[in-house]
Amino acid sequence: MEWANDGKSKGGVLAHLERLEIQVTRSHKNSEDLQRAQAVEGSLRTKIHKLRCLRDELRAEAKQRQARVKASAANVEPDQTLEISEQEVAERRRENMKAILRAYRFTGLSGKLTSRGVCVCISTAFEGNLLDSYFVDLVIQKPLRIHHHSIPVFIPLEEISAKYLQTNIQHFLFCLCEYLNAYAGRKYQADRLQSDFAAFLAGPLRRNSLCNLLSFTYKVEPRGQSVPFWARLRYKDLTTTLPTDVTVTYRGTDALSPSWEEQRASHENLFFSKPLHQVFTSFARKGEKLDMSLVS
Amino acid sequence: MDAQQAEVRALEAEIAALRRACEEPRTAGEDNWRAQKSLREMYQSDSGGWASSKDLRSHLGNLESELLFLSTLTGISIRNYSMKTEVLTNTEKTEKSITKVLQRHRLSGNCQMITFQLEFQILEIQDKESLSSVITDLNIIMEPTEYSELSEFVSRAEERRDLLMFFRSLHFFVEWCEYRKRTFEHFKEKYPEAVHLPEGAASSCMVVHSARQPGFELVIVWRVQIDEEGKVLPKLDLLPKAPQQALELDRNRVLETAPRSFRALLGVLGIEAALESLIKSLCTADSS
Repeated sequence: MEWANDGKSKGGVLAHLERLEIQVTRSHKNSEDLQRAQAVEGSLRTKIHKLRCLRDELRAEAKQRQARVKASAANVEPDQTLEISEQEVAERRRENMKAILRAYRFTGLSGKLTSRGVCVCISTAFEGNLLDSYFVDLVIQKPLRIHHHSIPVFIPLEEISAKYLQTNIQHFLFCLCEYLNAYAGRKYQADRLQSDFAAFLAGPLRRNSLCNLLSFTYKVEPRGQSVPFWARLRYKDLTTTLPTDVTVTYRGTDALSPSWEEQRASHENLFFSKPLHQVFTSFARKGEKLDMSLVS
Repeated sequence: MDAQQAEVRALEAEIAALRRACEEPRTAGEDNWRAQKSLREMYQSDSGGWASSKDLRSHLGNLESELLFLSTLTGISIRNYSMKTEVLTNTEKTEKSITKVLQRHRLSGNCQMITFQLEFQILEIQDKESLSSVITDLNIIMEPTEYSELSEFVSRAEERRDLLMFFRSLHFFVEWCEYRKRTFEHFKEKYPEAVHLPEGAASSCMVVHSARQPGFELVIVWRVQIDEEGKVLPKLDLLPKAPQQALELDRNRVLETAPRSFRALLGVLGIEAALESLIKSLCTADSS
C-alpha cells in the first residue's frame, strides 16, 4: 500500500482526512478481500487436502483390486497343480508298491503286515507250474507264535517251528517253504501219473497224503505184450521231489528174460533220476517208435 | 487461486474416475480366484480331500514297511514290476469253456550287489474244473557277471523255468559270497603279512605264505557252488606249494595229503577255525 507521500497534496487537512478515510476503507476492503480471499483460499486448501486424501484412498483400493485380479490369473493355478501332482505322485507310488508286493509271490515268500504281526504266504511251484499257496499267520510277541495257518497236517510244522521259529524266522519260513514245495512237487507228479498216464497203469496208484510213498503196477506199453512191473517209490527226504528208494519188481510166475531184466534195472534208474510223469512220457515216446526189440 | 482451483478440479475428476473403477463389477479373474479359494477350503475340510491324503501317506508308510519286511526276509529287493495280460483267442470251437490268458511279467531288482532283470510269461488255462498256471518262458539278466558260478545256474533256472528256485538260490549264493568276503577280510586284517588276496576279497582265492619260508605257499580256493537242485554249498580246497627240495624231503608226504587233511579239518572245525589254524601253523613257523 502506497501512501501518497504527499503531505502537501490538494485539499488541506480535509483532503488529508478524506484521503486517510479512503485508505482505511481501501485497506478494510482489502483486508476483507484478503480475508475473503484468505477464507476462500483456506477452504480451497482444505478442500484440496480432503480431495487429495480421498484420491489417495481410492487409488490404493484400485491397486488392491488390480493385484487381486492378477493373483487370480497367476498364483492360484500353480498352487493347485502342485497339490494335484503331489497327490498323483503319491498315488502312483502306492500303486507301484502294491504291484511289487504282489510280485513277491514269485520269490516264494510274500505277505502282509497285520495288527498282530505278519501273515506270510508261501507259494509253491514245480517245473514252472505254479501250484498251491499256504499261509502262516504269525503273532509278534515274546514268544513268537503261530496264530493260524493253512499248512497240511502231514507237514511237520511243530518240529520245524520248535527248531527255528524263536531263533530265526527266516530259517523257519525257508524250511517250511522247502517242505511245502517238495510236497507240492511230489503231489504234482502223482496227479499227472494218474491223469495223463492212466492207460499205463494196471491198477490204482497207491499213495499217502504226504505223497512220499507210492506204489503201482505198470506196463511200458498200454496195449501190448509188455511185462507188468510193480514199482514202489519212497521219498525219505521230505525236502526232495525225487525218490530215495526205488524198487521195481516183476510179479509174475515165469522167469524174467534177460532183456526184460535189463529193462527192469533201467526203469529203476529212471525212477531215481527223473520225475515220475517224465519217466512215463519217455515210455510213451518209446512206444511210439514201435520198438520190436521190446517184444521178447 | 486459479492454480488451486485448477487443482481442485483435477482432483475431483480423478476421484470420480477412481470411484467408478471401484464400483465396477468383479472381473472374471477375481471370481475365479475366490471360487478356487473356497473350493480349496471346502476340500480341506472334506474327508475326501486332504484328510484322505493323510490316509494315503499313512498307507504309503504301511506299504513301505511291508516291502522292507519282505526284502529283509527274502534277501531280494524288487524295485520294479509290471505285467501285461493278453486273452488268447480260442481257435478250438468245441472247447468253449476253456479260456487262456497269457501274462507277460517284467521284474527287476537286486540281491545285495547283484542286480537282476527278469522277463517271464505265464499261461493261465481255465477250464470247467481247474485253473492252471504255467511259466512258459523265463529270461534272466544278471549283473555283475564276474561270478562265473552264477551263469551256469542262471541257464539252468531259465531252462527249468524255475523262478522260485532262482530267487532262493540267489539269496543263499549272495549270502555265502558275502560271508566268504568278510572271512577273507578278517584274516587279511588279522595277519596282514601272511595273508594275501591276489584277486581281492570278493574273489574265491586266499594265499597264505610265510616270510621266513618264501617258497612255501598255501592257496585256499573257496568256491560257492549251486547244485542241480539249487542247493548252495561252499567248496573249499587247499593247494599247497613248496619248493622242489622240500617235496623231496617230505617223506611223510604231508604236502601230498594236505588237501585231504584240510577237508577233514573243515569238517571238524568249520571254515573259520580251519583257516585260522592253517594260517597260524605257517605263522608260528615264522615266530619260532
